[in-house]
Amino acid sequence: MEDRGSSPALILIIDDEESILDGCRQALEKSGYQVVSTSDGHEGIGLARAKKPDLAFIDLKMPGCSGMDVIELLSRELPGMVLIVITGYASIVSAVEAMKKGAYDYLPKPFTPDQIRAVTKRGLEHRSLKLEADRLREEKERMERSFITFVSHEMRSPLVTIMQYFETLKVIAEKELTEASRDIIDRCEKRLQALHDLVDHWLDLSRIEDGSFSEARVPLEVTGIVNQSIEELTPLCQRREITIESKGRADTPKILGDQESLLRVFTNIIGNATKYTPPGGRISVGIDHDDFYVYVKIADTGSGIPADKLPFIFEPFFRVKGKEERQKGSGLGLTFVKKIMDAHTGAVEVTSKVGEGTTFLLKFPRLYEL
Amino acid sequence: MDSKKKVLLIDDDKDFLMATKLILEKGGYEVFLAEDGKSGIDMAKSVSPDIAIIDMMMETWSEGFNVVSRLRTSETGKQIPLIMLSAVDLQGPYQSFEPPEDLPTVDLVLHKPIKADELLNHLGRLLR
Repeated sequence: MEDRGSSPALILIIDDEESILDGCRQALEKSGYQVVSTSDGHEGIGLARAKKPDLAFIDLKMPGCSGMDVIELLSRELPGMVLIVITGYASIVSAVEAMKKGAYDYLPKPFTPDQIRAVTKRGLEHRSLKLEADRLREEKERMERSFITFVSHEMRSPLVTIMQYFETLKVIAEKELTEASRDIIDRCEKRLQALHDLVDHWLDLSRIEDGSFSEARVPLEVTGIVNQSIEELTPLCQRREITIESKGRADTPKILGDQESLLRVFTNIIGNATKYTPPGGRISVGIDHDDFYVYVKIADTGSGIPADKLPFIFEPFFRVKGKEERQKGSGLGLTFVKKIMDAHTGAVEVTSKVGEGTTFLLKFPRLYEL
Repeated sequence: MDSKKKVLLIDDDKDFLMATKLILEKGGYEVFLAEDGKSGIDMAKSVSPDIAIIDMMMETWSEGFNVVSRLRTSETGKQIPLIMLSAVDLQGPYQSFEPPEDLPTVDLVLHKPIKADELLNHLGRLLR
């Protein structure tokens, strides 16, 4: 949208009645506006495209051209221009229809010079508010983008360098380190790794939000990815004495997706299950489908999520506080899951009962191959 | 005769250079440091390293790649193994960065931070 700065606003008038054109022009020019006018709808569209006026008056009833169509086209093509309907029929019905198609206001014939000036003033005020809102939105988007750059470079680089120094410290001080100092280094490294993961997850989310994700989808077999994820987590389950089992169907249809991010979705949810399931517990993963969806169901026999917390678990940095404080993640894991599922035009549903366990149900639209 | 192999390390982060240099020296290498692409290329000419390690993202996204291309087309650079360092995972699903079409070939890409034993194992293998 263009801002004309301090130069007078440009008004376009499209009306087939010469007397109206002249009257409007005089009234508006007297108030210091610049005016262009035409008695032909098609020519009006051309003028609007070429001159990009701030505001246009458009007659609804013109021979050979519907004012309604002109409004519809211009409001779509030049959203920065304020459109005002002139109607001889002063009927509410046509005015309402015009406003649905993008007009801001209407002016019933006959009208006085003062009336057209008042409507013009209001229309231009509306325009400058809209301009300001657009500017603020752009500024906000620009700040968000630069924040991503900030996080990726200004935060990750020093973090990586500190991690590298710890790695080096272990190597060069190898023999001199006491058990206590080695323990301190280990603890520092764990905290740094968590911070590093947080930055990475945050960047992942930003990249999903900027839309570069959805083009990366290809036909996939979900079963293979689920199994890969289970394989990755099996050693951890064994250490925690948790049984993990999976059940699938040989005829599972393909879905459209991104392999790498789906692997992380499954690993995230199954990984959560291992955190909240006590030794002796069980994690079951099931894959099923119907005519519309492929379902991946991940159920655990863990501590469960209280009903009042359930609606918030996909919010960034929301944590279900357990008795054990060791369950620490980046706080973005499930937010990531939700965004990835959205990007797959899928859904994630969760049911839980405290003391009994939690079940995540992931739904993917099945792919019909032609 | 000094049998130490020479490693050239190019990165614009001084601390990263220092940390990695200490690991390399512990591993028995002679280490040469350059803080930007140009001095890295000059140094490659003057010291004739046995291997070079180049950070991908220095001043700009493409500087690391430029250095690699320049090295690959130079007398010293074309025979030696090159390792590229990256702080981001280019295999990741959302990486919006597009590597250049004519991506020069490197022998190995390592992600920062680098594990000391991993780095030394790779160097040993590449210089065998």
